[in-house]
Amino acid sequence: MATAPHTWLRLVPSCRSYSKATRLHKIDYPWKDEPKPHWVRQFEARRVDADLTPENRDWLRQWRLQRVRDAVASSSEAAAAASPLKEPPAARPLWTPRVSQRCGLVGIKLGILPMWYRNGQKVHTTVVQIPDQRVLRWVPPEDLGNYASLREMRPYRLNQSFLPRWLTQQRWGLQLVGAVPADPANFTAQWCGIFKAAGLPPMRKISRFLVSPDASLQPGACLGLHHFRVGDCVDVVARTVNRGFQGVMERHLMEGGPAAHGSTKFHRKMGSAAGGGGPIYRGKRMPGVMGNRFRAARSLPVLRVNTKHRLLFIKGFTPGPPHSYCQIMDSWMLDVRRSLDANPPPMPTYFAEDAPEGGYPEDVYHPDLLPYDQPLELPD
Amino acid sequence: SIQLEMPPAPSAAAGSCALSLGSRFLFGCRVTAAHRFAASPVQPPSPLHQQPHLQPCRQGRRWLRPEFRGVYKPRLSPEAMKEFWRLSGIGPDHSRAKVADQQAEVPPEIKRLYQEALPPIVSQDYRDPIVESLHRAEMMRRRRVINIPEFHVGSILAVSVMDKHAPNKVNRFVGLCILRRHTGLFTTFTLRNMVDQVCVQIEYELYSPSIVSIQLLKLERRLDDNLLYLMDAPHSHCTIPFDMVPEPYSRNDPVPVNRERVRLNPPPWMCKWHLHGYQGIDLEHLYSYLSDKDVAKAIEFSKAYKRYDLLDQYLNRVPVPDADYAFKDIFIQHQELLQHQQQQQQSSKKSEVISKLTGTA
Repeated sequence: MATAPHTWLRLVPSCRSYSKATRLHKIDYPWKDEPKPHWVRQFEARRVDADLTPENRDWLRQWRLQRVRDAVASSSEAAAAASPLKEPPAARPLWTPRVSQRCGLVGIKLGILPMWYRNGQKVHTTVVQIPDQRVLRWVPPEDLGNYASLREMRPYRLNQSFLPRWLTQQRWGLQLVGAVPADPANFTAQWCGIFKAAGLPPMRKISRFLVSPDASLQPGACLGLHHFRVGDCVDVVARTVNRGFQGVMERHLMEGGPAAHGSTKFHRKMGSAAGGGGPIYRGKRMPGVMGNRFRAARSLPVLRVNTKHRLLFIKGFTPGPPHSYCQIMDSWMLDVRRSLDANPPPMPTYFAEDAPEGGYPEDVYHPDLLPYDQPLELPD
Repeated sequence: SIQLEMPPAPSAAAGSCALSLGSRFLFGCRVTAAHRFAASPVQPPSPLHQQPHLQPCRQGRRWLRPEFRGVYKPRLSPEAMKEFWRLSGIGPDHSRAKVADQQAEVPPEIKRLYQEALPPIVSQDYRDPIVESLHRAEMMRRRRVINIPEFHVGSILAVSVMDKHAPNKVNRFVGLCILRRHTGLFTTFTLRNMVDQVCVQIEYELYSPSIVSIQLLKLERRLDDNLLYLMDAPHSHCTIPFDMVPEPYSRNDPVPVNRERVRLNPPPWMCKWHLHGYQGIDLEHLYSYLSDKDVAKAIEFSKAYKRYDLLDQYLNRVPVPDADYAFKDIFIQHQELLQHQQQQQQSSKKSEVISKLTGTA
């Protein structure tokens, strides 16, 4: 395809004959110094209008927040269900084994809560809150090469031997999701314009998910808590805790040197950096900033759902500090994907018609989990 | 074939040195690989997507363009979290604290019963009000199933745990509480006792569902927060008979303080007990085992310079508003718990009466 990035993007070839020296290059590309119209700044210092009294400033802020609340409420599922202009429900796509990949949710990690199974075993659960989120954009797989964010040449792309498969195979498209609506005065006009095109209030976080075309969602679609059910296994992708500048023993678990026995100024050092007078190769483990990288915790089951505060209780620990964003999606592990074929999740996402009769209770527990107000009964 | 384009000779005015390192690093060379496009059937792309040049450089990729150096904010600030909760209405529930404000002050027995309801002493980055309220709610739910009495370090407890390998499926242990740590649902306490002339310490999780009952045998407090020094004390201090009869106590009375001072065994010790400010150790006896240098160090430590360390006090103390909020929340749930217990007693009495009248077993 003409727009496929791997046809026009020639990376360093991965042939064995090329030497290490050719890898040690600075990335230089012709459009480096050109302004990039698609790059948008998010935050802007609030303009202080001296003509307004503090009371009026507060009133205007409340008015803005109420506008945001109304925009969120009008684009929610409840509004769509109650609207007199209800369209006939569109045919919902079917779950296709080995093909379907649904959109994910943006979550905010809050903390950890311990719980117990019905066999007496303890399990730690991560409490993740699902904020208001709406679909912003759908980029089909054919348009991945034209998609502005991917045309931005990142240094690590040019130094890699190969491009990621989702870019070369083009089976999945990109689903842009906006989360956490906020006061528009925090943001630049350009940032707010991204959401205006979809008819949504400005949001703090934009995430993208790799989604198959049959599970794609159109701009304005609502993503909610019940997109995941109790028992579904999810992958949680987030940026790990930033541990700052760390030495080689913390960062790479090197052994350092002896504490005593005549060791002169060699207790926590790296030691040798190379051998035979040769150069230090790229990627040599050295001190540096530890953490602050995207990592995925794979195949974590959802053990409990709380509808009052919109919480997901996910088994185990997820990367990142409290109050950090995380991406939650159907697990990519093969055994989980195969189990979903027998018990398909709501496609393409949860709608009000999927709700059980009488609605959901405040807390939905996994059958193996023991709620705290029930006594433990071990089998004999 | 790779085309090498040598740049023009540097001018003297520019002052740039033509470094010919004579090594693999050809400083200032540009390598273009436009040949790769010659063979491809695809049209060469627009000027915007031309082939990148690989410019050899010793310090490659050290300078990132501003857009890549932009600060990525993966976290929401406390102000952003508050705004998000106010907008969406799914924030922490303040209704119980408001109800408690209208009532009288929180009674002191709440602070004695629910010591673990206090939020953890940790930096604000790691605290979340929703998670803390969940901890408190689950604690009170567990207390509807089992009665957790008030106890302090120095009290004597009998704990029964479910054990599938035990004869009656229940394992009972009696011991002196030497340690009580963590908060919320993570709370643990350690009991110490002598079993067949062997010292045994067992750490229990207070809210574990495998605990069948916690019985308070003697309510007492000691001069210290933990009694870990009993590990280096004569065994008589932690020998408690398993058939000890519970001593009655009243909730309204203040907790009795046991001011005994323990004489430790001769060194070696497991820990430098003289450097932790323990008040429950016989210090004169302790110092008799130490050298003059160690004694001076211990006395200097005990001069309590920490009372002047404001930052230490700030960091190791729960903020008063947060503590008040937690106890108000717990107070209302405590009242609901008492109502629930009364209802259960009434319903159990009713079922007893009914079974007697109808003659059912």
